[in-house]
Amino acid sequence: MAETVFKLRRAGTVALVTIDNGEDHRVPTTLGRSAFESAISVIDELERGDWTAAVITGKPFVFCVGADIDELGRVEDPREGIRAGHGLFSRIHALPFPTVAAINGACLGGGLELALHCTARTISSDVRHVGFPEVALSIIPGWGGTQLLPRLIGPEAAARVIVLNPLRQNRLLRAKEAFELGIADRLLSPVEFVDESLAFARTLAIERSDPDWSDLETGVRKTRAKVDDAVHGATRAPYVALDLIAGARDWTIDEGYAAEEDAMTELLVSPQARAAAYAFTVVERRSKRPPNLPEARPRAVTKVGIVGAGLMATQLATLFLERLQVPLVLRDIEQSRVDAALESIRSEVKPFLATIVDGGTGWEQFEGCDLVLEAVFEDMDVKREVLADVRRIAPDAILATNTSSLSVEGMGADVGLHFFNPVAVMPLVEIARTATTTDEQLATAWEVVRQLRKRGVLVGDAPGFVVNRLLTRMTVVLMDAIESGNTVEEVDEAILSLGMPMAPSVLREMVGPAVAQHVLETMHASWPERFPVAPATGGGRRTQEQIRDAALEAVADEVQHVLADGVVDDPADVDACLILGAGWPLFLGGAVTGGVVRT
Amino acid sequence: MREAREVYFVDGVRTAFGKAGPKGQFWRTRADDMAVKAVRELLRRNPSLPPERIGDVVMAATAQVGDQGLTLGRDVALLAGIPETVPGFAVDRMCAGALTAITAAAGEIALGAADVAVAGGVEHMGHHPMGEDVDFNPRFVSERLIDESAAVMGKTAENLHDRFPAITRERADAFALASQQKAVAAWSNGVMRETVVPMAVFTDDGWKLAERDEFLRPETTMEGLAGLKPAFRPGGRVTAGNSAGLTDGATAALLAAEEALDEVGLEPRLRLVGYAYAGVEPHLMGIGPVPATRRVLEQAGITLDEIDVLELNEPFAVQVLTWCDELGVDADDPRLNPYGGAIACGHPLAATGVRLVAQLAYGLRERKGRYGLTALCIGMGMGAAILWERVG
Repeated sequence: MAETVFKLRRAGTVALVTIDNGEDHRVPTTLGRSAFESAISVIDELERGDWTAAVITGKPFVFCVGADIDELGRVEDPREGIRAGHGLFSRIHALPFPTVAAINGACLGGGLELALHCTARTISSDVRHVGFPEVALSIIPGWGGTQLLPRLIGPEAAARVIVLNPLRQNRLLRAKEAFELGIADRLLSPVEFVDESLAFARTLAIERSDPDWSDLETGVRKTRAKVDDAVHGATRAPYVALDLIAGARDWTIDEGYAAEEDAMTELLVSPQARAAAYAFTVVERRSKRPPNLPEARPRAVTKVGIVGAGLMATQLATLFLERLQVPLVLRDIEQSRVDAALESIRSEVKPFLATIVDGGTGWEQFEGCDLVLEAVFEDMDVKREVLADVRRIAPDAILATNTSSLSVEGMGADVGLHFFNPVAVMPLVEIARTATTTDEQLATAWEVVRQLRKRGVLVGDAPGFVVNRLLTRMTVVLMDAIESGNTVEEVDEAILSLGMPMAPSVLREMVGPAVAQHVLETMHASWPERFPVAPATGGGRRTQEQIRDAALEAVADEVQHVLADGVVDDPADVDACLILGAGWPLFLGGAVTGGVVRT
Repeated sequence: MREAREVYFVDGVRTAFGKAGPKGQFWRTRADDMAVKAVRELLRRNPSLPPERIGDVVMAATAQVGDQGLTLGRDVALLAGIPETVPGFAVDRMCAGALTAITAAAGEIALGAADVAVAGGVEHMGHHPMGEDVDFNPRFVSERLIDESAAVMGKTAENLHDRFPAITRERADAFALASQQKAVAAWSNGVMRETVVPMAVFTDDGWKLAERDEFLRPETTMEGLAGLKPAFRPGGRVTAGNSAGLTDGATAALLAAEEALDEVGLEPRLRLVGYAYAGVEPHLMGIGPVPATRRVLEQAGITLDEIDVLELNEPFAVQVLTWCDELGVDADDPRLNPYGGAIACGHPLAATGVRLVAQLAYGLRERKGRYGLTALCIGMGMGAAILWERVG
């Protein structure tokens, strides 16, 4: 791992400090132990020298992305690490001359806290990643972030940046938003960003308005309600962060630092934080090429066919058209359905792309397709029939199926590409290989998923693959509870209290009860004992805790079967599937290795 | 006959010059970004000029590949934030690239094709060593069209010593020493403050300001120079001390038609009186400025005595001394390179021309002189000379 170094150069009477790890932008600069040592020696020099100002910036495209997450997971004494940050940053804050953080690139967590300890900030207009991801990892910004940000931009905006954005798929700020919120004092063009930041530091003309604390209680109440909606109390971090922001009104900065130290000491060792750190690494690793992917060259995909024109097929067609930008045809048995799908697709895409999508009821249009994806309803016979038709007209095409539970090989497809609803939002695609999937077909499927900007996980051709298999197993428990006297609301609340993003009843409505039932029947066909079609009765009404424990136990048990059956090569793939495909929050850590659900 | 319009030099600016190679200040900076910096500084200093009034952006580079490729003038204009309606192109005449950019732009202005133009050059010799990727036609050698030594500039400098034995190693070293001394003085004079723009550059040591030339050697002595080994021929006379080092640098100048000056609120500094290019034997390329100078003086009908400042490029001390001897100018004539030359500041091939003109404008104003001459020798055996007259 590249070591971060603070490098000091003289630019006239201005100190120019660069945070650099000697690597290019693909290895972002983090703050670990070695960075602190180097920062201390630079601050010593700043305190000794006769500087008129200092500009702190990063290597090209990266300012600083905060604490090193690997190191964070290994800390023995959290309080010491937090204190070291406070000590270092408060020395920057106390320098006897103006300091400017020139935010030239990604500026996250501890990097942003460093910037907040400067007198002022400039930001390059091309920066796209500014924010505090800590709460998404079930911790808080502990190096002064909860204290300085509300003092700068007010408690409401600070709560949005620190508490709410991390819970919205870890939303980050772009330069313009950071400037408009008041985090940066100047929005500068990238072309001469460092030069202009130096010029700004020499004059330092700042206009700021005082933050508005007048309606703190209402703001806190509203934010807390939103946090409840998102995590249902399942992780403490967002609530703690909110309390710290509110506390900033009355605390001195040292009292605020102390409160951050207390909070981080508790949170860093919490199971949620440990699970989130693990889950974060699992998800990040899944964005790279998996080791079990064959070396074969992917086939160039120059024309795509979609079988079906329903809701899922229309979403898939739109995604393929937008991302692959190649001619696309779709087919349904009714022209009116095709027309409706085409209209919907054309209204979504750029004008040129609208001219290269077409559809009809015949098969001739599939001639010359390199990839055909079927998304007709879940009926083995229908799927078998349409795939045979496609095979006749386009014998060289790779045939893929979006089935959620049926046998890929059994229906005559080459590979499974299982997308999740809504397609535009859900990042996961389960790529199912069969015994007959060729290396080229698999490599092509992987490459297509990458070009679609989705996260692929390789799975075996087993009923329900990973996500539906585990969720269906969980649903069995929930149905049992309802059958035994619990209300739908009680069951929903039990699952939401885990921090799940969506109530099971809402999810079932979205998937469609018929589809869910069909998936269950498919699973039942393979494993009748674990997936009974009729809910078991008896045992009476259960407490929420009992429902929750039973649900997790069922998932944990099914994970064992998934692993024993060899559906995935790496157990962490199961966790990645649950996080990316079922939207499980990071702080649950998936279901296998680091999570709350342990086996 | 249709009348040509007068062309004026308004302003010129350069980056500091850096040593080519991993230790130089611009090693991790792109050539086009350096040119962009010079162009943006030029526009910043002349805020009354609406950028959309620029008629053309002419940028020179000898190696027109990589970060100096993509028809550089256009590339640089877009990167500098000049509106896309303003066109641009690239030129190459090796060391006279920027002077050729100036005369090409001047031609457009004189004929009324443009009212205002940006002309400059860039050479990142660290990224593009001279002659790299050049595929010499074997006919040059097999038919003895040129002497083989013509391809290596240092060897052509040795050839000059051979041809003009009166120019000794000692004279060359003395000239080099004077160049360093004049440059040291110039850095405490206003000329560098006026013509050099500091640029923040990313280096292995973090961001730093590139604000001084890396070739300044105030500690230079005759003894020190005498101790240097010949660089191109055993027993030769050309050393690292009496020649210009390999350089990274960029320049940009603003030119305008007389008719446009008032409209866009620009103050002219020099009027372009005339220019000439000349060809000579390629293996004696350093002699090129001699016929070019004679030709431009003849065109204008003036003599060398009437010229108040002479800005000659100094790739090699022997090259300037050849020009001095041929034209009867003393090497220590105070009109000649008053702020030192390439030996002390570096020579980024296609960028150098604008440095000469910008320093000439400063020198003529400082001395209240009238005429000035900028001249360079050019690889493959050429010379360039532009004659200027101070205005304002």
